[in-house]
Order: sequence, then C-alpha cells, then structure tokens
Amino acid sequence: MDFNDTREEAMFREEVRNWLNDNAGDYRQPLGMSPGDVRFAELGRDWQKQKAKAGYAAISLPKDMGGMGGTAMQEVIFAEEEGRYHVPVGPFVTIGCQLAVPTIYTHGTPEQIEQFAYKTLMGELLWCQMFSEPSAGSDLAGLRTKAVRDGDDWVVNGQKVWTSWAHTADWGVLVVRTDADVPKHKGLTYFLLDMKTPGIDVRPIKQISGESEFNEVFLTDVRIPDRYRLGDVNSGWKVVMTTLMNERLNVGGESKGLPSIDELLDVVRSAGDDAAPYHLDVARHVATDMGLKNFRARLLTSVSRGETPSAMSNMGKLVSANMLQDISAIAGDILGMDCAFSAENNELAKKFQYGYIWASALRIAGGTDEILRNQIAERVLGLPGDIRVDKDIAFAQLPAGK
Amino acid sequence: MNFDFSEDQRMLADHARKFLSESCDPERLRSHIASGADYDEALWQQMVELGWPAISIAEEQGGLGMGALELCVLAEEVGRVLAPTPFFSTVCLGAELLKRCSNSEAAELLGQIACGEAIVAVELAAKSLQVDADLLTVSGSLPAVAYARSANFLITSALLDGKLSLVLIDTTATGYQTLDLPEGVDELASYQRVSLESVPAIVLQSEQGAEALIDVITNQAAILTAFEQLGGAEVACYMARDYVLERYAFGRQVGVYQAVKHRLADMMIKIELARSNAYYGAWAMSVGGSELPLAAAVARVSATDAYNFSAEENLHLHGGIGYTWEANCHFFYKRARLLAMSIGNIAHWSKKLLAAA
Repeated sequence: MDFNDTREEAMFREEVRNWLNDNAGDYRQPLGMSPGDVRFAELGRDWQKQKAKAGYAAISLPKDMGGMGGTAMQEVIFAEEEGRYHVPVGPFVTIGCQLAVPTIYTHGTPEQIEQFAYKTLMGELLWCQMFSEPSAGSDLAGLRTKAVRDGDDWVVNGQKVWTSWAHTADWGVLVVRTDADVPKHKGLTYFLLDMKTPGIDVRPIKQISGESEFNEVFLTDVRIPDRYRLGDVNSGWKVVMTTLMNERLNVGGESKGLPSIDELLDVVRSAGDDAAPYHLDVARHVATDMGLKNFRARLLTSVSRGETPSAMSNMGKLVSANMLQDISAIAGDILGMDCAFSAENNELAKKFQYGYIWASALRIAGGTDEILRNQIAERVLGLPGDIRVDKDIAFAQLPAGK
Repeated sequence: MNFDFSEDQRMLADHARKFLSESCDPERLRSHIASGADYDEALWQQMVELGWPAISIAEEQGGLGMGALELCVLAEEVGRVLAPTPFFSTVCLGAELLKRCSNSEAAELLGQIACGEAIVAVELAAKSLQVDADLLTVSGSLPAVAYARSANFLITSALLDGKLSLVLIDTTATGYQTLDLPEGVDELASYQRVSLESVPAIVLQSEQGAEALIDVITNQAAILTAFEQLGGAEVACYMARDYVLERYAFGRQVGVYQAVKHRLADMMIKIELARSNAYYGAWAMSVGGSELPLAAAVARVSATDAYNFSAEENLHLHGGIGYTWEANCHFFYKRARLLAMSIGNIAHWSKKLLAAA
C-alpha cells in the first residue's frame, strides 16, 4: 500500500513535467481575470493548440481519432501536473474536446468527423452544450425546445438555459424535441449547431454572485441543415447518454479560487478560544476533506489498474459541495460582522464569502444532491428506481407545471 | 497509485470472512450471551489455530511476521461479525505494545500470545494507579477493563514516582481482583471492574518511553478500531439494504422511496469516507512515520460517525422488527455506541485531530 506512481506512470509524469516547464511558463502566476472573463476562451484556444501539437490534446482518445492512445491514468496525471499552473483550461475547451468529439466519433457520419474532430482538438472550434431548459433540469428528457423538418433543414424554436460559455462558442451540441406524440425519451433528436446561425440570441444570466458565467440561449426559427443531425431522428437520447458518459471522471483536484480546509483552520486558529464551540464541526470537516483525498487515491488506484471506477465516485461532488457550504458558513461566523461588509480588505473573508455563494450552485449543477443520492442508492446499492408515471405516455399528454 | 491492500492481504480477508461467517453467525451471538461466558472459547481457539494472535509478531518471537496491514484486515473482519473474543485487547493492543518493549518478560509473553497461551487485557488511559517504587507493586482500581477476568495478564498505565509508566501484571497474583459490572451498553462485550491491592508488577516502560509508547499504541488502537467500526458499519448498511428490498409498504418495496434510498446513500458515503481514512491510517501504521497522529484521528472521527449513523439508521429502517431481540440490528446498534466511547470520545479525538492537522 502506497501513494506512488508505477514506473510507467512516473516516467509519463516526468515527461509531462518537463514539457510543462518548457511550455507553460506564462501560466506560473494567476492571470488576474475573473472566472467568466471572455479572454480565457481565446487563451484557451492557443493553449489547446500547443497541447495538441505535443500530443496531449486528447490523451486517452485512440490514435486513429487524433488522440494519444494513452490510458485514463495518463489523462489524470497530465491534469494533475497541468493543474499546478494557472492554465486557461475550462468548459470553453473541455466541452468540445471531452464531450463533443467523443460523441461525434460514436454517432457521427464520416463527413461530420472530418469537419469537426481535428479542428476541435486543435483549439480551432470552441463548443457549448445546449441541454438544460427552464423546465428540464434533473428531468432532462422533459425538454420542450422543438425542431420541425422543412425541406433539407430543421427549424428550431425554444429556449435553453445554464449554457456555460455560449457567448464564446463557435459551435454547440443541441438536443431538441422532434416528436411530442411519443413518450418523452423517444422523441428527441441531437444536432450540431453553428452558433453564428441567425435566430440565436445568447443572453448572460446575472448570477447571485453578480457574475455571468452562464447564459440563456433563445432559439427563434433557427435553421439547421439536416447534415448536422447527429444520429437518427428521434434517437437523440442515446446520443445524449454518450455525451454524459464522457463527462470527465470526477476525481477533480483542488479548485482555484475556492477556500480550502487549511484556510478554515487558519481562521479557527486565529480566533483562539472564541472558536472553541466550532472545533468539533471543524474536525469533522477536516476528516471529510481528508476522506475525499484518500477516496480519490483509491479511485486512482482502480484507474491505474485499468478498471472503470464505481458509481460511488458520484459522491465526490456531493460531499465537497456540501462541505464547501458548511465550512464557508463556519468561517463567516467566526470572522463575524467585522469582515462581513469589508471583505475587500480581507482576501480570506472574501474567499469564504464567494465559497458560500458558489456552494449553492455547486449543489445543483452537474447532478443535484438528490439525483446523486439516487444514483448511489440505485447503482451502488442496487435499490430500485423511482416508480415512473412518464415513461409510457406521449410527451404531449404529460402534465406540466407553470 | 497503489492505495489498496495487496492481493495476499485481500485473500486473507476473504478467508477470514468465510471462516467467521460460518463460525460466528447471529445465532451464535445470542447463545453466547445466554451462556453468560466472558468470551467464546471455541471461537477463540479456532482463531488461535488460524494463527491470528501471531499475525503481526515477528517470526523470531514465535509469530508469523506479517505487519500492520494484515492486522487491519483482520480487525475489519472481526468487526463485521462482532466476534466475542479478546482479539482486540490481546492482539491489537497487547502484542503491539509488547513488541515495542525490550524486557525479557515482554518477549516471553509475546511468545505465549503467538501460540494462543495468553490472553491480555490492556488499559492505556489509567491515571490513578500507583506503583510502589520500592516494592514494585501496584494499587488502585480501574472502572471498566475489557476481558479483565479472562486475561492471564493485564498491561496498564500507572504512576511511578508521579510519572506515567506501563506495567505488566500477572492476573493470578494475590491482590488482583475483578468485579462484575451491572448490565452495560453491549451484552457481547465483557468488561469488569479491576481492583489492585499491592499486586506485583513488572515495569515495561517508564517516563518518556512510556508516554511515547502509549501515544503510538493509542493511535494504532484508533486505526484498528476504525477498521472494526468499518466492518460493522458495512454489515449494518447492507443489512438495511437487504431489508428495504424485501419489505413492501403501500404496494411497493420500501427501497423505492427516496426518503429511504437517500438514507442508505448517506450511509454508503460515510462508509466510503471512513474506509478511505482507515486505509490512510493503515498506511501510516505500516510506514510508522510522523503522519500517524493525524491519520489516527481522522480515521477515528470518520469511522465513529459512519458506524453510529449506519447502526442507528439500520435499526430505524427495519421499523418495529428492528427493536426486537431476534432481529440482529441491536448487536450493531450497541457495539457502535460502545466503540464510540471505548478509546476516547469523538470530542477527545477532534482535539487531537486539530492539534495534528
């Protein structure tokens, strides 16, 4: 039992470290931009191109698909080493490289693969993902944006929401309803959409943080040529599943800009005895934080053996989002009113205030707490799924709220 | 990355699980309680034949020469079935402590433990026993010591010239007396009050040596207890899972309801966090480095939370039947409570955790 790389892993890590040392020099310090700054996307293109030229654009994708033909563990090692720098990597790049490209390879025509795969891996095309809608979040298959066939085109009308980086994307993956008279999962179709098409209106959403990382995307009589349909008509759900399965192995490291457990300990220690009533809670959070790190080490052990990690890996985000909310609240309590309205002079207070705000989003995004608990209960413990009242009934007949 | 037990260690776990599931089922626990015996002698004898007491004792001292990781593996398996034997006190505490002493008496006792000839009771937190420095006798009393009546030897902390020391006592010596305790939190555990009146003692360690050794053994105890807790927590969780698949209410398996499912998911999450920290503890024990105090504290805190929650919710999810003697939930419910208290409560370990973090 140890935390060490295998010999092959260590060699790859060394190679990556050397390459980063030679190529990521500009990113040794934070870039000093807010998380939603559009300049990230432009820098992201360049960084992706640099990686692609060295073969690191899609490490675990097979060689004949433009990847490196490496292992999932090499993918993790690269991400760990890259994560030591402040590189411009984010959804603006990963939606294309990690979600769109594998989905296009699985379901696309040779022409679609030819048109999109290489350019995306080279950073020439940035993508966004238009799945969620105002009335379709956890229940994604309940989406209502509609496409109607018109000659060689499809005409799309509706609204998408929570679309990250739609404002910088060149293309988007889009799932819409093409038949409302069959059960919900059976009337969906998947498209690739040029974001410069007339009728697309991207509007930033003002978040509770005051920032705008997410958008609403209004689609009004947007015409999509049929050659940009991915997969068969009304078979979109299967394609959606491919995209979601490719969502990166959730073993993530530390997020920059969010408060850490060590920073909570700093706050607690500076407060001395005043913080004593919080000690038990704080100790539990330290134990949980270490539990997540050690759990990650166990996950990586199975990745390193070439195994597929269990559905238990779903707990990572669930636990860390709730912990972020709790530790940010505790730090806020301890720092008190002295820091509540003068956080600009106190980096630590500012961080915990942001942590508290962002935690509320994190508990919803990428699978709510409740959906993740269902997945653990069903996939790990083998409990039955919910009784479904919407499976064998035409979508148009389903009751809908306001 | 290789943060897991080895193939051999997992094989040891499989064998232990198979043996214990056949030789220590819940019916056996009920009849053990009915017998009034302090421990299950036949089961203990089988463990001895399998070489378990010898597992982490060096070969030159009569042991099997394996290490901390194998001990962790066995602690988890013993915890799964709540085996009523002096395994923890004799093997996880006694042998581990004696291994780190240089006296000839310690070496001799290790040999006896290895071949199953000696049972040892251990008390590391006693602060009131006094050693008479001239006569080398110990006097005082201990409120609750596991297997004090069955043990051939007691190892306890005691004050020698006002300083902490560790002493070894032969329980057949005059002046060593155990007293029955009224019904406690866990019928499967055997605890007695110990009274010592000028009992001859051998000093195993004194002054800084004693304090350092008590620290190491206490930290190891937290990690090994965490494995025991983990074993029990996982059984409780799967017991609840099986029951909610079997039980129907309002025309459906109760496992369909999210109020039930989410509780089980939370059990599993706590267990996986606890397992991850227990592995960290196992690793820290096996390398013996400076991370031991932190690893012990996080393992202890996570495992205690996981076992308490799993045992409580397992009984709850069984509904009324869970409150009966025949259902097995209570064994885990009571053991979880006992282990939460037995080597220092969670507040105590939280303090240690914050000091080490």
